[in-house]
Amino acid sequence: MRDSIAFLLGDTPRTLRGVDPTMTVLEYLRGPERRCGTKEGCAEGDCGACTVVLGRPRADPGAAPGTMTYEPVNSCILFLHALDGCQLLTVEDLHVHGAKLHPVQQAMVDHHASQCGFCTPGFVMSVFALTQSAASVPDRAGINTALAGNLCRCTGYLPIVAAAKAACAAPVSRDDATTVQRLRAMRDPAPVRLAAAGTTLFVPTGVDDLVRLLAAHPDATILAGGTDVGLWVTKQHRRLPVIVSLEAVEGLDRIVLCEDRIEIGARVTLEALLPVLAGPYPAFAAMLRRFGSRQVRMRATLCGNVANGSPIGDTPPALIALGAEVRLRGAGGARTMPVEDFFLGYRQTALALGEFVERIDIPRPRMGERFHVWKVSKRFEQDISAVCGAFRLTLDGATIAEARIGFGGIAAIPFRARATEATLTGGLWHEATLASSRETLARELTPISDMRASADYRRIVACNLLTKLHAETWSPGATPALAEIAA
Amino acid sequence: MSAAGEKDYQASPSPRLAPGAGRVVGQRVTRLEDAPLVRGDGMFAADVSFPRQLAMRVVRSPIAHGRLLSIDTAAARALPGVHAVWTAADVADIPPIPFRATKVRGLEPYCQPILAAGRVRYAGEPLAVVFADDAYLAEDAADLVVPDIEELPPVLDATAEPAEFLPGHSTEPTVVRKEYGDVAAAFRDAHAIVELALSVGRHSGVPLETRGAIARYDASRDLLELHGAAKKQHWNRDEIARLLGRPPAGVHLFEGHVGGGFGVRGELYPEDLLVCLAALRLRRPVKWIEDRREHMVATNHSRQQHHRIRAAVDGQGRLLAIDDVFFHDQGGYVRTHGARVVDLAAGMLPGPYRLPAYRVAGHFRLTNKTPAATYRAPGRFETTFVRERVMDAIAARLGLDRVEVRRRNLVTPAEMPHARPLDTLGTAVVLDSGDYPGLLDTALDRFGWTALQADLARRRGAGECVGAGIGFFVEKSGLGPSDGVRIAVDKTGGVELISGAASVGQGVETVLAQICAEALGIDYRRVRVVRGRTDRIEFGNGAHASRVTVMSGSATYRAALAVRAMALETAAGLLQAAASELSIVDGHVVRLADPGAPLMPLGEVARHMGPDSALMVGRTPGLSAERWFHSAHMTYPYGVHLAVVRIDRGTGEVRVERYLVANDIGRAINPMLVEGQLAGGFVQGLGGALFEEFRYDETGQPLSTTFADYLIPTLAEVPPLDLIVSEQAPSPLNPLGVKGAGEGGTNGVGAAIASAVDDALRRPGAVVSLPILPRTVHALLRT
Repeated sequence: MRDSIAFLLGDTPRTLRGVDPTMTVLEYLRGPERRCGTKEGCAEGDCGACTVVLGRPRADPGAAPGTMTYEPVNSCILFLHALDGCQLLTVEDLHVHGAKLHPVQQAMVDHHASQCGFCTPGFVMSVFALTQSAASVPDRAGINTALAGNLCRCTGYLPIVAAAKAACAAPVSRDDATTVQRLRAMRDPAPVRLAAAGTTLFVPTGVDDLVRLLAAHPDATILAGGTDVGLWVTKQHRRLPVIVSLEAVEGLDRIVLCEDRIEIGARVTLEALLPVLAGPYPAFAAMLRRFGSRQVRMRATLCGNVANGSPIGDTPPALIALGAEVRLRGAGGARTMPVEDFFLGYRQTALALGEFVERIDIPRPRMGERFHVWKVSKRFEQDISAVCGAFRLTLDGATIAEARIGFGGIAAIPFRARATEATLTGGLWHEATLASSRETLARELTPISDMRASADYRRIVACNLLTKLHAETWSPGATPALAEIAA
Repeated sequence: MSAAGEKDYQASPSPRLAPGAGRVVGQRVTRLEDAPLVRGDGMFAADVSFPRQLAMRVVRSPIAHGRLLSIDTAAARALPGVHAVWTAADVADIPPIPFRATKVRGLEPYCQPILAAGRVRYAGEPLAVVFADDAYLAEDAADLVVPDIEELPPVLDATAEPAEFLPGHSTEPTVVRKEYGDVAAAFRDAHAIVELALSVGRHSGVPLETRGAIARYDASRDLLELHGAAKKQHWNRDEIARLLGRPPAGVHLFEGHVGGGFGVRGELYPEDLLVCLAALRLRRPVKWIEDRREHMVATNHSRQQHHRIRAAVDGQGRLLAIDDVFFHDQGGYVRTHGARVVDLAAGMLPGPYRLPAYRVAGHFRLTNKTPAATYRAPGRFETTFVRERVMDAIAARLGLDRVEVRRRNLVTPAEMPHARPLDTLGTAVVLDSGDYPGLLDTALDRFGWTALQADLARRRGAGECVGAGIGFFVEKSGLGPSDGVRIAVDKTGGVELISGAASVGQGVETVLAQICAEALGIDYRRVRVVRGRTDRIEFGNGAHASRVTVMSGSATYRAALAVRAMALETAAGLLQAAASELSIVDGHVVRLADPGAPLMPLGEVARHMGPDSALMVGRTPGLSAERWFHSAHMTYPYGVHLAVVRIDRGTGEVRVERYLVANDIGRAINPMLVEGQLAGGFVQGLGGALFEEFRYDETGQPLSTTFADYLIPTLAEVPPLDLIVSEQAPSPLNPLGVKGAGEGGTNGVGAAIASAVDDALRRPGAVVSLPILPRTVHALLRT
């Protein structure tokens, strides 16, 4: 057990001991380090002014040895322990004193991509990360995805798009091999325990340790990416006496591709999941691209989105429609349940004391299956859904063999529309069935009214999603019978 | 031109900068400001720290309206590390926040005290302040301060009957009225009358940097410093000095980097005075940094108005008269701007159109919300929406094309300068120059307006819900009365330019350096621009109302010409030549006949003009000059916004597919920076048109207090944007011919998008309020 963490700040080794485990990386940079280039715009992960880059040795199979990945993250909601074993890069690290500007910085100047300059360091770091990961110059959609988490109030963004394209056209590599060596040399496999300021934070390294810790501290806060829990501390000023982080737990970051399902571990981030889902479930991947921002997806996990039991989580409707299962684990062993059974009430879940969400299993697509998920929000990126609707239809020719429907943003818990499913199942996927299913859905849904949308709007839009589903999945004569597909 | 403005209205005397691009003026040079900003070396308010500083935290009212019975501060005071906790009783000797920008009398009872006394009037109002060793402690202590507030019913609707603000004072302190022409006759004789009720939602500047203020008192020099200042340093300095009973020279304000202004930052707020007072009393530096949630309830809101407007037209759709009654939702107090936004709205509503008769009554009303003031294009974003809705309504009523109705009413170049029997901001409204129909044609051509109509018809035929919209606007800029600039050349040829201007991130330093360099004949990168500091120049009117390039730019031009003349005169003596035969090129004195051969560097001339130089005996030494520019009239930029939108029939979402802003600003000192202003302004306008709104529940609780609830546009919302920076109508009122470029990008967005949504819905007049929300559009689709 260690009582310290070690990382590279730029190229300088740092070891921290006795720090408040809920101190954020932003507070650390601006406080003890007096590195004020990284800015606080909102302190809740919404604006990206605090974007820094975490570098880590590439671990994926097929990665060239001695290469790094560079992840843009919001430092305002990132606790310090996440730095352990990483390289932390801030805007100050790009430019060597007295030397020319870094090409990303120069591109920002050349394209008039900075006005007041407050959001600029965050944009510089997001663009820098993009230059390190993009294989070619991204198109506008690619740049939108990379920069959606950075708000700018002065430039109108278009000059920043131009700067990002210019920077990606001539990326400058870092000395990854040296950094990898230095990080390897610093690596300490021992679990971490940080205790200060009334909080003890454990970073276990094995699942068994994790289970034991949770049994010993059943009231512990379980921390995965921290994009939600971070706000409990920074905005709600909650005291969290014991935190158990999944950051270093061996195996939980794995995605296992089985014959019939995809197993997604508790530490798998949405950004890591995106390319995996793009093949089997492009609609799910497209929705995930609008989930938070790249900085948020770099940390946020699928299991965390479910485990927190938020009514506005965007993944539960899709998981419900897909028939996904959640696997819980505790000292008494593991148990599995359908995702829809996991949610009991507002922020209440089936997790027993000492249990954690170990993984989520998503079934692979079956023959004749059509899956769609739509998020309806005012703003395209980084917005909370007014309605999120997910649909899985299994069509046998014109007949609906099976229907599963999940909705989010409607009520206190994610909702499975069983009555509507029943109306659809066995019917012919014609206008008449659409009309009757719309009627059932309108009766079945009892949405809330809030500032985002009225109950009436939510109900009608949810029904309109059924119509959209029909338009997307039905054209007479084009849907083969299951037997034909099999043949 | 009518008699109203003739008396004092005259063109700026020469010398004027020759039209067209110069060596550096008119060029797309990169900004002097950028290098530190992209390196992370900027010094914003939160980056300023002093040894021994205390942190200030404001305890804010959780209640929208109530009687403040008591505040229990005992537990907070008892917390170790807490140095003081103040309530209204502790600051009773400090007067409330004063006005700087209103002619309206009688607003004093509505001023905001620096800490609430007796009443709370909006959720977020400062009730108490805590001073502690660090920000975390201060926050903890603030949580221990317990106010006892007896709730009163909140006033949340500015169109409702006025209530009582204080005994003897209603919630309507004034009605701003303007009128000319025979309105009654016009309506009596009208061919048609259109009548609309229109609303603009509450939104605001919301810069990425929140506010901050850091004060320190140097007892050894009896000097109070305030850091984190912006926009109006000199006025704020004078007022802080007055309110704290100190001489102005004993107070200095410092503007570092400023993370966006947009109207809201740099006004004098309670927190500015509180940190100053605390630095004096506690003898420690005091730092206050607003957090985002505070910002959403503490910093000025803007925009919220409801208009009931009628227009009388003849058979050709020509305006005969407009009669507008509007209600301005001011929020809990009247802040520094007084009734300025109401005055601007009333004065600018007629816009680019010939209007024989006009009557307006602007009801200035207090409610129990965050106080409101100016936000980029104040009073114009609102009234351009309202006026252009009227023009669309006239077109619909008379069965005319929307563009044609505008063309029939636009003031023509032959009518320029066009004086209206109106005033705003204390100046007569005289549209100084412009070719409105010309720019309209240019914009429509560039957008492919005619072909677009056919394309939209085809797409509608294919089932799409698409439409195009138009908004024409007139801006105002270059508000006087004066600004001065001092330029000095040092022995190395470096130039220091000291201005009373401020910078909120828009590129002031680069633009002033370009003007200076053009006039003086040097590289603009040799110019160091000082701004936003009261200790370097005695006066300054700051950065607001799109005034800096006009006012400080013109003063810079004059001062640089004066320095140039001095340099040439001295060089002529040294070189045994006539000054008229010499010039300055690239920082060197040259002969006009042989400009490629440098004769003497400018620094050498400056050295000969130093205090030790024999040449200067009996004269004031230094190659330096100070010049002023005065203006009694504003300049009026103008332009066109064009939009194409697509509506999702299932959800009511409005997506802007493409957009054009055309803006004539007389002359672009740096076209790249002008485009930056237009693009950034447009996206802010887009926010107000479709996304941004400060909402309240029925008890006056603010609902939009985070970036998750108050939606400013992200990159994904920004459509392809075409910009026309037009220079067809230089202003006759200043030596550069410039007009301000800061607000035209924002001004017409609500108008153009509303027009486009109507067009997509095929329902003229469908849009009656901003922001245009999916649920509203969705409801329109169903009826």
